[in-house]
Amino acid sequence: MAHIEINSNLCKSCYLCINACPFGLIKKSAETGKTGEYTVEFYDKEKKCTACASCAMSCPDIAITGVFK
Amino acid sequence: MQTYAKPKSIKENSSFTFCSGCDHGLAIKLVAQVIDELNIQRDTIAVSSSGCSVFLYDFLDVDCVEAPHGRACAVATGVKRAHRAKGNNKIVFTYQGDGDFASIGLGESIHSALRGENITAICINNTNYGMTGGQLGPTTPMGQITATSPLGRNKEYHGFPIQTVQHIAICEGTCFCARVALYDIKNIYNAKKQIKKAFEYQQKGLGFSFVEILSSCPTNWKLSPIDSHKKIEEELTKIYPLGVYKDIDHE
Amino acid sequence: MTERELLKGNIAIAKASLIAGCECYFGYPITPQTEIGEYLSLEMQKRHLAYVCAESEIGAINMALGASAAGAKVMVSSSSCAVALMQETISYACADELPFVLVNVMRAGPGQGYIYPSQGDYNQATVGGGNGDYHTIVLSPSTVQECADLTYRAFYLSQKYRNPAIILADGLLGQMSESAVIKEYPYEEIDNSDWILNGASDRLSRNIHSLEPSQLKLNEHNVNLKRKYTLIENQEPMYEEYFCEDAEIIITAFGSMARYTKEVVNHYREKGIKLGLFRPITLYPFPYQQLRKLSYSAKLFVDIEMNLGQMLKDVQLSALSNVQTAFIGKPTGDWLKKEEITGVIDNLLKDKNANIR
Repeated sequence: MAHIEINSNLCKSCYLCINACPFGLIKKSAETGKTGEYTVEFYDKEKKCTACASCAMSCPDIAITGVFK
Repeated sequence: MQTYAKPKSIKENSSFTFCSGCDHGLAIKLVAQVIDELNIQRDTIAVSSSGCSVFLYDFLDVDCVEAPHGRACAVATGVKRAHRAKGNNKIVFTYQGDGDFASIGLGESIHSALRGENITAICINNTNYGMTGGQLGPTTPMGQITATSPLGRNKEYHGFPIQTVQHIAICEGTCFCARVALYDIKNIYNAKKQIKKAFEYQQKGLGFSFVEILSSCPTNWKLSPIDSHKKIEEELTKIYPLGVYKDIDHE
Repeated sequence: MTERELLKGNIAIAKASLIAGCECYFGYPITPQTEIGEYLSLEMQKRHLAYVCAESEIGAINMALGASAAGAKVMVSSSSCAVALMQETISYACADELPFVLVNVMRAGPGQGYIYPSQGDYNQATVGGGNGDYHTIVLSPSTVQECADLTYRAFYLSQKYRNPAIILADGLLGQMSESAVIKEYPYEEIDNSDWILNGASDRLSRNIHSLEPSQLKLNEHNVNLKRKYTLIENQEPMYEEYFCEDAEIIITAFGSMARYTKEVVNHYREKGIKLGLFRPITLYPFPYQQLRKLSYSAKLFVDIEMNLGQMLKDVQLSALSNVQTAFIGKPTGDWLKKEEITGVIDNLLKDKNANIR
């Protein structure tokens, strides 16, 4: 099952990954991170993720540490 | 199956010290991916510079020497030539901001290109001096408000910005130069492709290769990371058009 | 290799650098040192070594920084106002502990000055124009033979201490010809394999930088550098004494000026006046202790320089309180003649006749 791994400790809440995902599978989480803003979480109820890694490629902090198919 | 992993050439347990959404992180990651793909981590020597780019050695797991402000291309020339004199073929690249490459260091940059110095230079153009708080720099577009152009850049008061990549393109020793951006996934992949080409040309010994990366500075632009990327797409690429400006393989 | 030749000081430096194993030379033309770069341009190319006609002195010294980081033996040569341009990178090199040899064949200043010989860069070399707590090793040749011999020593000391070393010559020495022997390199090679940047193939990656955001580490780094400088100050002072053992009057002079003062010493010795010459060869580290020893028996130090009194303060620092100091100097042009010097010393002798014989 395709999914991504997020290291919330590295997330600076820029939300570029939210913008990058073609299926809108990343959203703000309820947790706040190092900047005091909400971090992000992966939410793929309908199994739409294709492991394209657009989110990971767009993350300036390498907080998305792995993408799996 | 893993389709993406943290680049090997990024140091374990390192975390970028850049502001939220800053394109420096993206740019360094792309360089690391290219180093991994070309399998040159053990043969690469990086030259860091002054400004936000200064901490490169904290993130990138390659040998690295720091250059005084603006002198990265001269320092890289020394590293490359010294290794050549010893019979070693090392990959040497600089990682600089636009202030470093195109203002204080313009002389060193242009002359490295003119000599056809077989090094690669990566220049992060974020249209201001980011680390000191967003002052007017060599690439600040007309009209942009900065900490030292509070009423916006105008030609009577501040003069004109520099088109860096075009200047490098007219140097005969330049084998490859391109301007890229990182505002969407298509451009990110394209940027990586051009950075890779620049390194490959160095491997082939073709001369000076250069990539200018139009980058965001959300903190000093006072925009969100997403709006910063929008600004690059809608405004900056009109002033600083993207593309390959020189490629001796296609001439 | 060991034949006596008629050589210009500049050429002696260039030839010696090749024997010392110089692998990289970076330069930009400026009178009166240009022959060094001209000579090496062909010799380096013939040997497939690195030679760059740099875009500026700033470019040249930063190429030296990079080549040094890559582990090469490096030399840069220039003169006064252009060495002024290099001060930032000299400070970086000291902070980064990167060795190279910088030759300064002095001309007259301040500013553009002119190409007349001078010793006006004593302060620039020994005190430095860069920022922070740092020192460069400074060697001052007085003959063409020493131009060669001290080039060897500059390479050796810079490698040994991982610190830039300056050869402080002057236009007179650079341009004059005299007989000299280019000997074999007399020093051991220093192993630099534990710090150079040659790709992290079988080790962790290294980085060389002076930037240090941690107060603690930055303080520690400065203290470590200071420790190194103290070691240099204890181990490396070099000097020449000429008729000093019983001297009541000591002339102090360095570089080309010192050779003229030997005539002055001979002049007074013939008259039975106990006068000697003390010549510091290392200007940093300055031989304070050695000169101080002479102040037990001497009553007067006469410092003579082709400037307006730059080494004078170091001479004064060395002198015990029983010793008077006097200064004779001029900033540039024709070197001070024997008669100009003896004229002043004769007057000093008259004044001091009561206690100086």
